[in-house]
Amino acid sequence: MTLAPPEQAARKYDLNFARWVRDNVNGGEKMSMCMQCGMCSGSCPIGTEMDHGPRKLFMMIRAGMKDEVFNSSTIWNCTSCYNCTVRCPRGIPVTYIIQDLAAKSVELGYVKKVQNARFAKAFWWSARTFGRTDERLMTAKYYWSGGLVDFVKRSLGNLTIALSMVRTKRMHIGAPHKIKDVKGLRAILAKAAEIDVRESKGGAS
Amino acid sequence: MSESKKFTYYPGCSSLGSGAHLDRSLRAIAPKLGIELEELEDWNCCGASVGHIEGGQLANTALSGRNLAHAQEQGPQDIVTGCAACYLNTHGAAEKIKSDVKLRENINEALGAADMKYDEDRRVRHACEVIVNEVGLDKVRETVSNPLTGIKVAGYVGCQTVRPFAETEGGGEYDTFDDPEFLDDFIEACGAEAVEYDVKTACCGGSVSVMKPEKTLHLIKKILEKAVEAGADVIATPCPLCQTNVEMYQPAINKQFGTDFNIPVVFYSQLMAVAFGMDGKKDAALDQNIIKAKKLEEKAK
Repeated sequence: MTLAPPEQAARKYDLNFARWVRDNVNGGEKMSMCMQCGMCSGSCPIGTEMDHGPRKLFMMIRAGMKDEVFNSSTIWNCTSCYNCTVRCPRGIPVTYIIQDLAAKSVELGYVKKVQNARFAKAFWWSARTFGRTDERLMTAKYYWSGGLVDFVKRSLGNLTIALSMVRTKRMHIGAPHKIKDVKGLRAILAKAAEIDVRESKGGAS
Repeated sequence: MSESKKFTYYPGCSSLGSGAHLDRSLRAIAPKLGIELEELEDWNCCGASVGHIEGGQLANTALSGRNLAHAQEQGPQDIVTGCAACYLNTHGAAEKIKSDVKLRENINEALGAADMKYDEDRRVRHACEVIVNEVGLDKVRETVSNPLTGIKVAGYVGCQTVRPFAETEGGGEYDTFDDPEFLDDFIEACGAEAVEYDVKTACCGGSVSVMKPEKTLHLIKKILEKAVEAGADVIATPCPLCQTNVEMYQPAINKQFGTDFNIPVVFYSQLMAVAFGMDGKKDAALDQNIIKAKKLEEKAK
């Protein structure tokens, strides 16, 4: 079973969506345990910044509201505090499900300009290129991905922070800290991505 | 614990940047607590809370797989990290690989691309859990030679240091998810006063605070407000991202909400270094706090 890309999805309700989530989303196999108690939404520190709380999002998955789920701000404003996960009376790994829905939304082409997706891109670039997070370059790349105006505005806005970081030796000046075997790391990551594609093709029929 | 116990130490990326003072103070206090830290060979990024979005789940787990493979080569000892995100990812990956044969197979296929393997199991532990379960509070108290008498500290635990593993068997069952006591215990063991602080496991916004603080400043404001209300001189935390977020956004919060916060945020390990009579700069790294912890600096040798 594969999901149609958004532009081809004619139906508002994808009745296979809940099953797709069960089979393809990390932690999705536990989704059917949800009894809509609302412990997750009540525990969420950032629910005010989400258009739907986790409880409602889960109901939307069951209803087959694929587009609304993947376009919701819920999946992008999760702070990974794990309150919902440890409190869920049915043992559903809510945080993991929401995190993976975010990844799937990028994979399926729902979002390109969302801040988090740009941030994740900059983050992965640093991890892949240097083997480590270079907080300076990652942030610069992230700001840059928002366009020149955004870059200048945000860089200037955070100049004081950056300078105090340099002053307290929490931001270094010079070449990025790189691992020794970047080549090996990249080979591992490339292989993993290859396996991911192979497995998802085999596993989602 | 009479002899020292060896651990493979995973410092994490923040140790080379915003969380350098956690790394410095942890390395300083470890020998005092009978812990030997041997740095993990050629360690890489853990993927934090966004790696899976661009890299995919398996590649993200493979980041931890590579670290675990290096740890396996290094010896049978447990891995320890002071960073909440590194702990979350590496511990999570190790537990998952342990119980999921297919995942281990896939990870090893990926590791094979660099002639590496992870076919044993290593335990990944948080430094705080090691201090609670391995070192013990008595040892911390015994080591204090310069008690932090008269200093009021708000113990801010944050999220990922305790969630989702603190109450699990693999996580060492060292405290609770909602009302952990270890940090207050550390503070009191150092001779300081742990103030009543009911937002100790509130969220600072994590990486969302880094990418879009406009969504999360109100969360940090609450963390600061409650500490000031409780009369704290300083906030102490175990998490590098919490420390940076709660410290660096104070001017932005003051600007947006018309407040006047200027409260230092330090690591528990910095408190310990001072309380153990160690050097305020070289060991406690107090010079690396943007908002200076003056009362601690005065106490420091």
